[in-house]
Amino acid sequence: MNWVSPLSTRYASPAMQALWGERRRIGLWRRLWLALMQGEKDLGLAIPDAALSQLRAHLDDADLDKAAEYERRLRHDVMAHIHHLGDQAPAARAFTHLGATSAYVTDNADLVLMRESMQLLLGRLGAVLVAMGKVARRYRAVPCLAFTHFQPAQLTTVGKRVTLWMQDFALDAEELLHRIATLRFRGVKGTTGTQASFLELFDGNQAKVAQLDARVSRAMGFEHVLPVTGQTYTRKLDAQILAVLSGIAQSAAKFATDLRLLQHEGELLEPFESEQVGSSAMPYKRNPMRAERMTSLARYVIELEGNAWHTAAAQWLERTLDDSANRRLVIPEAFLAADAILVLATNVAAGLEVREETIGEHVAKTMPFLATERLLMRGVKAGGDRQQLHEVIRTQSLKGSDNLLDRLARMAEFKQLGVRATDAELDPAAYVGRAPQQVDDFLDRVLPDLMHSIQAAAPVAAAAEVQV
Amino acid sequence: MTGVLVQSKLPLPLLRRGKVREVYEVDDTTLLLVASDRVSAFDVVMREAVPFKGAVLTQLSAFWFDRLKSVMPHHLITADADEIVSRVPALAPQRRELHGRAMLSRRATTVPFECVVRGYISGSAWAEYKQSGTLAGESMPQGLVESAQLDPAIFSPATKAEQGHDENVTFDHVVNALGRLTAERLRGASLALYEAGRDYAAKRGIIIADTKFEFGTTPHGELIVIDEILTPDSSRFWPADRYQPGKSQPSFDKQPLRDYLADLKKQGKWNGEAPPPPLPDEVVRATSERYRDAYRRITGRELE
Repeated sequence: MNWVSPLSTRYASPAMQALWGERRRIGLWRRLWLALMQGEKDLGLAIPDAALSQLRAHLDDADLDKAAEYERRLRHDVMAHIHHLGDQAPAARAFTHLGATSAYVTDNADLVLMRESMQLLLGRLGAVLVAMGKVARRYRAVPCLAFTHFQPAQLTTVGKRVTLWMQDFALDAEELLHRIATLRFRGVKGTTGTQASFLELFDGNQAKVAQLDARVSRAMGFEHVLPVTGQTYTRKLDAQILAVLSGIAQSAAKFATDLRLLQHEGELLEPFESEQVGSSAMPYKRNPMRAERMTSLARYVIELEGNAWHTAAAQWLERTLDDSANRRLVIPEAFLAADAILVLATNVAAGLEVREETIGEHVAKTMPFLATERLLMRGVKAGGDRQQLHEVIRTQSLKGSDNLLDRLARMAEFKQLGVRATDAELDPAAYVGRAPQQVDDFLDRVLPDLMHSIQAAAPVAAAAEVQV
Repeated sequence: MTGVLVQSKLPLPLLRRGKVREVYEVDDTTLLLVASDRVSAFDVVMREAVPFKGAVLTQLSAFWFDRLKSVMPHHLITADADEIVSRVPALAPQRRELHGRAMLSRRATTVPFECVVRGYISGSAWAEYKQSGTLAGESMPQGLVESAQLDPAIFSPATKAEQGHDENVTFDHVVNALGRLTAERLRGASLALYEAGRDYAAKRGIIIADTKFEFGTTPHGELIVIDEILTPDSSRFWPADRYQPGKSQPSFDKQPLRDYLADLKKQGKWNGEAPPPPLPDEVVRATSERYRDAYRRITGRELE
């Protein structure tokens, strides 16, 4: 059997695969030809009704094998499909693709597909945020060790840490919303973007050509049209969109990496199916394989982004074809991989196992160290020498946290001051600062507006995907 | 544990007497809630009291308050009678009466909505859905059967009615009344509290089908959960091993009582309205045992 992309066999969702499948693309080409023909007729060209009705009857029944036969002979994919469509809709043959260049269907279809894919990803981001929001809410005030330099630092809460991940994804969602709202169609521009062939068709009528551009774009669901293009739309659009996908991958990689570190600590675990095998050799193992896969795919998406920059940078004058093969690979794969990453992220977030007991043990072990800071302050207030007390704490801390506060209380330096740590100083909740309130603010003040925007911009996808 | 309590009488100002609870004022910032052993069925309060019921409601609430405190701060100061008496010495003579059933609480201004969460479709929600396919006027997935699980669970607020039944309202109604921030917080906290409780109880053989939370605001403006929480009286508890979607489910706690009364109604011996019929000892005992079993399963402890 020949090579098949693992994105198809293993990783990407059926929904995203269907979006980027050949059938959907050719369906879009035919719709673009229909929109063009309709626009041209409405603006006065003599196109018979039968041409439109036959084309309309064959929007979704292209025979990909027959088109491939044409392509072997013609060495041109768009022309192959025009011929195949002509066989199926003979009355439309003479009027199909009138005045257009290949980029009319290829570029415009890519823009439709990218927009729909962004909407699907937006719905998936919504699902990640919903799933993480539940964890953040439930553990909003559960104290846990915070780490700087991956060394235990002061305390934070489990929920607060989750909001750090959520905020990254929320920023990605805002970027996606912006890209979806501002994406402009290539529209009807002709071979070098000057619309010369259309001006010819409409006998020099400037207004009609401009109207055709706007009408066709609106018919394909785009309110905004690029005012100027070369033969293709500027490849800067691809670079901007892939930057957002790369951003999603970065957020997911950060989340997944944190999870892998915490799973090592035994504090936070990704879901594990009852029959799942951790290791073929070591049956006791429970590996964070979903998080590892997320990191792996994320690295791929992040690296794909560079292709789009280079393509945008390398375009010569009104166009060169060195974008084609690269875009054909990079754009769908970036979307398929980002899709796989977000499905994983949702699955992991919805099934996160929070080990409160282990988290509590780790906190308890560190509490005496944290309490020494307050002890030092009170020692100084009671008349002690800050540097002297600091040195006592330092030397005693090096012996570990066991009985640290009792040991300090027995040291002459503290004893003579009558200062000792109280139980209240060992209450972890007193060390989490505003973490629980920050969680509340994020969940109740920031997130609802964003979720609202997500549902408005990706109504179908969001409704289907946000249910966790 | 002392005998049953039908109605408490304490030397404190009585603020409210509910179907089951008396609420007393301790001072400006503190309340005492006393759960009696009164029981109601079919909206009628029975004459007989169910032993241990008040203690189950209070101790189970105390268990949940502590367990869920990281989700939402609560009003409970202590449910330990000795601790209560040491803080309110005037109650010393009633020490035995308070044991297990009294809750010393922070006083808060009550939020004027019942925060109902439904994880399964039952009762009035099922009636509405069957008739119009909606819940509190909002559209729902098609094809649900009675007692089906709702996933995700649904926040279904209601007004607090002084008389009669609470009335369901939409989320937007709560937003308009309290502002978006408070409304979001109530919804988020209610769902999180319910889901945490549902998941925990499910592992112990009890389905918490739906529940009702009450919230209050402290003088510092902090939103806290008050009253009782995830008890058989504020929730529908179903035995998980007998769960069969497609019909109404037996109640984990009140089924012996309901069965007995339903039988009387069927035989035409009771019209379903006050005054209630007398209850045989075995019905009272069986109901009491169900309440204690719920407590035992959820907390893993015997009721003291």
